[in-house]
Amino acid sequence: MPLLSRVADRTYWAARYVERAEDSARVLRAYGDVLADLPTSSVRWSPLVSISGSDVRLPAVSGSDETQVAQFLIADRDHPNSIVNAIERCRENLRTCREVLPREAWHTVNDLSIYVRGAAVTSVERRRRDRFLARVIDESRRLDGVLNSTMSRDEAFEMWRLGRYIERADMTTRVLGVRAATLLALPPGATDEFAEVQWMGVLRSLSALQMYQRATNGHIEGPSVVRFLLFDHRFPRSVAGCLAEMRTSILRLPAYSTVLGAVEAADRQLRRSRPAADDGVALDAAMDAVQLALARLNDVMHEHYVVH
Amino acid sequence: MDELLEDDGSPRPIANELIELLHRIGLDDLRERQRVSDLDILTMGISFTVYSDGENIDRAWPFDIIPRLIDGGEWSVVERGLAQRLRALNHFIDDIYNDRRIIADDVFPADLLDESVNYRAECQGVHPKFGVWAHISGSDLVRAGDGQLYVLEDNLRVPSGVSYVLENRAVAKRAFPELFQRYRIRPVDAYTDELNRLLSSLAPDGRRDPCIAVLTPGIFNSAYFEHSFLAQRMGAELVEGQDLVVGDDDCVYMKTIQGLERVDVIYRRIDDLFLDPEAFRPDSMLGVPGLMRAWKAGNVGIANAPGAGVADDKVVYAWVPDMIRYYLGEDPLIPNVPTYRCMYEREREHVLANLGDLVLKPANESGGYGIVIGNRASADELEVAAESIRADPRNWVAQPILDLSTAPTLVEEGIEPRHLDLRPFILTGQHSYVTAGGLTRVALTKGSLVVNSSQGGGSKDTWIVDMSNHPSIHHAQTQSQTQTQMPSSTGGA
Repeated sequence: MPLLSRVADRTYWAARYVERAEDSARVLRAYGDVLADLPTSSVRWSPLVSISGSDVRLPAVSGSDETQVAQFLIADRDHPNSIVNAIERCRENLRTCREVLPREAWHTVNDLSIYVRGAAVTSVERRRRDRFLARVIDESRRLDGVLNSTMSRDEAFEMWRLGRYIERADMTTRVLGVRAATLLALPPGATDEFAEVQWMGVLRSLSALQMYQRATNGHIEGPSVVRFLLFDHRFPRSVAGCLAEMRTSILRLPAYSTVLGAVEAADRQLRRSRPAADDGVALDAAMDAVQLALARLNDVMHEHYVVH
Repeated sequence: MDELLEDDGSPRPIANELIELLHRIGLDDLRERQRVSDLDILTMGISFTVYSDGENIDRAWPFDIIPRLIDGGEWSVVERGLAQRLRALNHFIDDIYNDRRIIADDVFPADLLDESVNYRAECQGVHPKFGVWAHISGSDLVRAGDGQLYVLEDNLRVPSGVSYVLENRAVAKRAFPELFQRYRIRPVDAYTDELNRLLSSLAPDGRRDPCIAVLTPGIFNSAYFEHSFLAQRMGAELVEGQDLVVGDDDCVYMKTIQGLERVDVIYRRIDDLFLDPEAFRPDSMLGVPGLMRAWKAGNVGIANAPGAGVADDKVVYAWVPDMIRYYLGEDPLIPNVPTYRCMYEREREHVLANLGDLVLKPANESGGYGIVIGNRASADELEVAAESIRADPRNWVAQPILDLSTAPTLVEEGIEPRHLDLRPFILTGQHSYVTAGGLTRVALTKGSLVVNSSQGGGSKDTWIVDMSNHPSIHHAQTQSQTQTQMPSSTGGA
């Protein structure tokens, strides 16, 4: 039986939201980690707000803005991309397509949502934060595990994958756009002392450190990190890797040529950013362009599968 | 009376093992098991929806861990009685929309129909398959002080609750594994399979491997959990009105990522009036324009058929025993609660003279709305009710105040008797099927008779227990279900 358009749409968005929550958790976790190694005076948390895709400006605070930013990203009910809201939206979307998913998948999401609802507010505090973020990441991974091991490779499964990978690609471009661009754009020498630590942070926030080191024999250096995260399609969180996974899913869905075209367009846009890998300002702009191409891909899928 | 205990407080034979276990494990262990069950319900996402509840619109389903037991021998009679009742009701609906023999023969008054809010003129002359209109129904049963089970009302439109019967069982199995080993408890899981078979049989002729869709008003409906549950268990599509479209060929299609796909059977969980804005309420956003056209053309099966609610009316209810005798030539196996029909002067005068001893019910409200309980109402409330009865006698019936049975229930204070009712579900098509037990709803507040979950009621798992190794229990029927043949329609079908 072909998949209902509305169900396709909700499955896709459920996947996007849970990936969004997982990715935010990764970024936030890695950031706290990196900052522990840096002199406290230079620590600002506000770049994380831009990574979350929000144009909200939090009111300036004196001293560390850590609590404020953590609250915003974890527990703020008015922030649509906060972890608590993203999990809630994932659940609301899945609740309306339970009939196409294995039961266990729904139980996992429901469980996670009960946990997040209860623990979000108290987990802003640094002492409890890491455990909370780890749980969000683990449960999100568990959900993929459940689907991978118990769900038929049907159209709903492919819609789920599409949601996961487009969101992940988007997040990788945001992390690179904001963090890497800031690092690369600094006058040479300005961050030397801590550059390596900061680049490690960028890699960690995408769970890429170890795989990067294996691929490059260990030396951590800006442009090579950027190239790894954009183009190494063997790495499943690289933008090229995400696009390759999306291509696989699209080929398993009916009448794919239009959607495939939009993936290729995003891929072309990605390749155009290659020269920007060692120039901060250019990279920021290039990432914006890739994000736009991903947004167009999202729209094309919506028109093709949902609206007709 | 109590379902599990004799008047002297000793367990009834059927409840021996259960009560013994409760004594053995003690209150603390029981509360711990209740806590685990509550947690199961929360993580399994078994919920019901309440409307004005700020943050969370779905709430955990309220479940009392102590089951309600019914003897298999008694239940076999109830099964046959319910199947009988639904066959008669379906004959009635088919007759009303076609030949109206029951009116011509002076068994049922013609003028009742003119004022029935659930009568649909659009359905005249339609012949659904097998002459069946109310395929899925839920009849509420209560046990009164005399120990007899009575039918309190029949729900023929979109009765809900069956999903909780199945989920309660799943939870109860985990709570009392040792009892499931000791007792022979009839399983309830077959329901969704039977429902699937019934729905498939409603597909237009010649449609092999029919596509079945459950039509829901959407996530804000209080029974959304159930709609989703049934679709999952049947492998059916769960659709909203916006997912469906009726083509120029008067067939129903659903919008999929591959384009339009034909739908053969719709299990609708939307009220008649919202089904099709072309035929009924033009402002309905929930329905599908043209659905009635498709149904009348025989291009789609709809369960329950539009118009089936005509027999779901507290006044029409009073005639069900007559219908059973008239259409089937049988005596009713389960009695009605005695009902005074205010449209008749003699019965009305009796009601008006005895307001304080009666329950007064408006004909077409559901969910307990508008009901006045004589001995709990103030003099002013009774006077208002009397005025309403005089002004619109057709719309009122009255029944004696029943002393509903109780069962031991775990509450704050410990284990205490609480009042309950029972809603079994009946499937009617070529054959009949009755759930083994049904949804037991329990009023958690001391002395209260209000069992609705939206008003603080709880639920219990219902065990139909076969006591074959028990010499004192007579058990003529041991089949797990009643299968009665549906005679060919007496209407013009």
